Amino acid sequence: MKLNIEGLLVYFPYDYIYPEQYSYMLELKRTLDAKGHGVLEMPSGTGKTISLLSLIVAYQREYPLEVTKLIYCSRTVPEIEKVVEELRKLMEFYSKETGEKNNILALALSSRKNLCVHPEILHANIIVYSYHYLLDPKIADLVSKELSKKSVVVFDEAHNIDNVCIDSMSVNITRRTLDRSQANVETLQNTILKIKETDAAKLKEEYRRLVEGLKEANVARETDIYMSNPVLPDEILQEAVPGSIRTAEHFVGFMKRFLEYLKARLRIHHVVQESAPQFLKDIFEKVCIDRKPLRFCAERLRSLLRTLEIADIADFSAITLISNFATLVSTYSKGFTIIIEPFEDRTPTIANPVLHFSCMDPSIAIKPVFERFQSVIITSGTLSPLDIYPRILDFRPVTVASFTMTLARTCLCPLVVGRGNDQVAMTSKFETREDFAVIRNYGNLLLEISAIVPDGIVAFFTSYTYMENIVASWYEQGILENVQRNKLIFIETPDAAETSMALEKYQEACENGRGAILLSVARGKVSEGIDFVHHFGRAVIMFGVPYVYTQSRILKARLEYLRDQFQIRENDFLTFDAMRHAAQCVGRAIRGKTDYGLMIFADKRYARADKRGKLPRWIQEHLTDGSLNLTIDETVQLSKHFLRQMAQPFKQEDQLGLSLLTLEQLQSEDMLQKIAQIAHQA
Amino acid sequence: MDEEPERAKRWEGGYERTWEILKEDESGSLKATVEEILFQAKRKRVFESHGQVRLGMMRHLYVVIDTSRTMEDQDLKPNRLTSTLKLVEYFVEEYFDQNPISQVGIITTKNKRAEKLTDLAGNPKKHIDALKKAKDSTCGGEPSLYNSLSLAMQTLKHMPGHSSREVLIIFSSLTTCDPANIYELVKTLKALKIRVSVIGLSAEVRVCTVLTRETGGSYHVILDESHFRELLMFHVKPPPATTTSECSLIRMGFPQHTIASLSDQDAKPSFSQAHLDSTSGGPGLSMGGYFCPQCQAKYTELPVECKVCGLTLVSAPHLARSFHHLFPLEAFQESPLLLHHRERFCEACQGELKDKSVFTCLSCSSVFCVECDLFIHDTLHCCPSCIHSRSAP
Repeated sequence: MKLNIEGLLVYFPYDYIYPEQYSYMLELKRTLDAKGHGVLEMPSGTGKTISLLSLIVAYQREYPLEVTKLIYCSRTVPEIEKVVEELRKLMEFYSKETGEKNNILALALSSRKNLCVHPEILHANIIVYSYHYLLDPKIADLVSKELSKKSVVVFDEAHNIDNVCIDSMSVNITRRTLDRSQANVETLQNTILKIKETDAAKLKEEYRRLVEGLKEANVARETDIYMSNPVLPDEILQEAVPGSIRTAEHFVGFMKRFLEYLKARLRIHHVVQESAPQFLKDIFEKVCIDRKPLRFCAERLRSLLRTLEIADIADFSAITLISNFATLVSTYSKGFTIIIEPFEDRTPTIANPVLHFSCMDPSIAIKPVFERFQSVIITSGTLSPLDIYPRILDFRPVTVASFTMTLARTCLCPLVVGRGNDQVAMTSKFETREDFAVIRNYGNLLLEISAIVPDGIVAFFTSYTYMENIVASWYEQGILENVQRNKLIFIETPDAAETSMALEKYQEACENGRGAILLSVARGKVSEGIDFVHHFGRAVIMFGVPYVYTQSRILKARLEYLRDQFQIRENDFLTFDAMRHAAQCVGRAIRGKTDYGLMIFADKRYARADKRGKLPRWIQEHLTDGSLNLTIDETVQLSKHFLRQMAQPFKQEDQLGLSLLTLEQLQSEDMLQKIAQIAHQA
Repeated sequence: MDEEPERAKRWEGGYERTWEILKEDESGSLKATVEEILFQAKRKRVFESHGQVRLGMMRHLYVVIDTSRTMEDQDLKPNRLTSTLKLVEYFVEEYFDQNPISQVGIITTKNKRAEKLTDLAGNPKKHIDALKKAKDSTCGGEPSLYNSLSLAMQTLKHMPGHSSREVLIIFSSLTTCDPANIYELVKTLKALKIRVSVIGLSAEVRVCTVLTRETGGSYHVILDESHFRELLMFHVKPPPATTTSECSLIRMGFPQHTIASLSDQDAKPSFSQAHLDSTSGGPGLSMGGYFCPQCQAKYTELPVECKVCGLTLVSAPHLARSFHHLFPLEAFQESPLLLHHRERFCEACQGELKDKSVFTCLSCSSVFCVECDLFIHDTLHCCPSCIHSRSAP
């Protein structure tokens, strides 16, 4: 159908549209008009992707000078494929409706084997790729730096974007990394010697270039061709590479010294935490390495690798990592911390020293993106509370909106179970998590639910350790045996191969009527990337509140930083983080309007206003006072009733006019008014 | 007084939010909504009658009753098993009333096995006896869809092509324990044109959805006992025949019931052919019976397919009773009472019209109340006042 969105003609490749899609496009258009950034939350399964694509493509056609390019970032390869599929539909619709040949070039970058058609990127109108191509400074420099300023950037499934930013800027160095770097350095040295004998001119040429400085790059940046790279701050480009590392041999020697220093630092018996300036001071005192050459390490190494014409750069990942670390640590005095741990907390007897160079400020990595592109849209099914993202990413959005799901029938049923039948409170709180009664009640809940929910159930625990403890104790109490009479049990493990095997079998059991339970972990692979449509997930149980492991030193440092820099209280951030993961987990079950599922929050703390208020609006809406703090019995009765209601025949006609609209219905005055209420301005 | 202790106490029952379905009207009264709900429920079934389609009149139906562990659940009173058996009893009676030339068999499944409770037969008495007996049996283990379906299939696949082959599963469990891949069986069922319908007692199970969709059956899940009854009654009506099913003229015999008079010297009691191979049942020797017009084999009950010559034996009233499915009585027009200005009495029961709607026959424009409307459409299948006016001249 063709839509008129505030004067913009939008081709929409389906005959029906959800009211919230229309509302979403309205907000999106306003964001583009204002040339600003936006934060939009809309539940999964309501057609976010196609709304985004059709509006932005229409906008491109209408105002080709205002918006030249759409950069669509998604997280995983299957998601990218989904986007491409939708895009194809849209293109077909365009050529059918307008009759003209398709003049839009779209490009999807998925994996290394499909990489990379560099010059073509410049001409493509739409680019679909993974977050890392834009955020990770190491890759962004290769792929994305030449993208035009007048692009619209969309981050889909962006509820975890701060962690992606942090990960892309953080470096972990183990003894293994150092050993491999050592080997790399030796290879470099040999290669240099060899080249010196055969082609000394090449090295001289490089030397000359370095004397002149990285002027070319500087010129390019000033003339606005490149996006700035957060690893390589502006000031570096204005200077020449310092003399001490200009020749290849000197640089290799320099790196050797640096490696030796790091090795010495790893030889410790207690935990050390220090800031970047402290580290620099120490390195200067101990091995006389100055700040300035350190800053040029990454660039110098790249230049050397180019000069030596080394084809397989992957072999040199270890030394590249070290050089990136050197540059980062000497560039940023704020927003980073260095933590050296001699062993893991869980295994205090096994020496396994790790140097964490941890980024605490996600805005550092994403800053160039916000600065460079005129519109950046952050969108996901779960972005609540909406105001926190602009704060931690440090940007000012023009639109912040949350959309609810219009439903012809209430297809989601969130329930907060707070007590067992014996009235003992259920909670994963640290003090009581080992309590026998709590574990037994959790077991009873799973048992009862497994008897009344058909096909698939997904249960999430707060961590692997917690899951192991509980499952072991359920086994001793005989609860598992009883559960197995109703359903098969599968368990997610940290091993990816094992997990995908379990998933496959789980789906088979759901398909053929045997029924299955998948025990998995919030923040694990299952909770983030796997959808449980229809019978694959009729119920999700969230055992406990998935707080992040708070004893971690990295987290503590980050919390401190957030408090000092952004005035976000520790508790607020922790709750926000826990609730977004909980919402992400329970949201796995509902992937569309014809789908239905139970969402069981098994912890009494969910009933509190501060937790409940942080759930996305489309879940909160259905969480009435009557469904808080239930006992197991009450939960079972409500669930039974819900499942029977949902099993009644449900046809497309029932949705029409309510949650699914034809063009005529959309244009009616009444409906437009209703739509105006869908978007909830935060 | 014996009954009292057996019934579940209110506090033993489940947690129910009975207030949630109630809504207050503008004056704050609940009465209107309750009446509305009841009224709607009454009318519902009449609407669903289909128009002129080819129907499979000769039905062969296996009813599969799940008697697994989950049937002990008490959400139907007193428990699922007793409630189900009672309703199936009623269903069997209705079924033979409406489909006299059809047959029914009953299969139960528990402990991963399937057992035949009764074979396909046209006599309601035998089935009802078996169902009454089954009430005392225990429930246990898991059901097996695969085993029940293949058991039903073994018999149904030999039924003639012009008759409909159906299976109705009453499924209480949420799981099934199968010895092999059930989707292979579904393909076979589809090829054999066996229609499988499911009534679920707890929730929507994926495998049933696929099973019914593939074989062209229907899948419903009950809300409560009255809804259960309604869904069962839905299966009383013969389903539309598939266009691919064979269409043939069928030879039928209409045997007279003859009893050899006791005065006749030559009269000897004889065996019914039907009793010869059935192990259960009475002595089987009797003086009279129905004699096949073609081969003179004797049967004590109709309808039946002659074991000797294969002729279908029915009685004329049977055929006549099947007739109304082909020419259903058109639904009466519903109109609000306020717009109705003529006499305020129902044409049939002569009671005062009090409900808010009245129903008018389209051909003779007589007016009926909702109760009579239901009775006419469900049982009489013809408008009494039309008949009356036709015989009058």
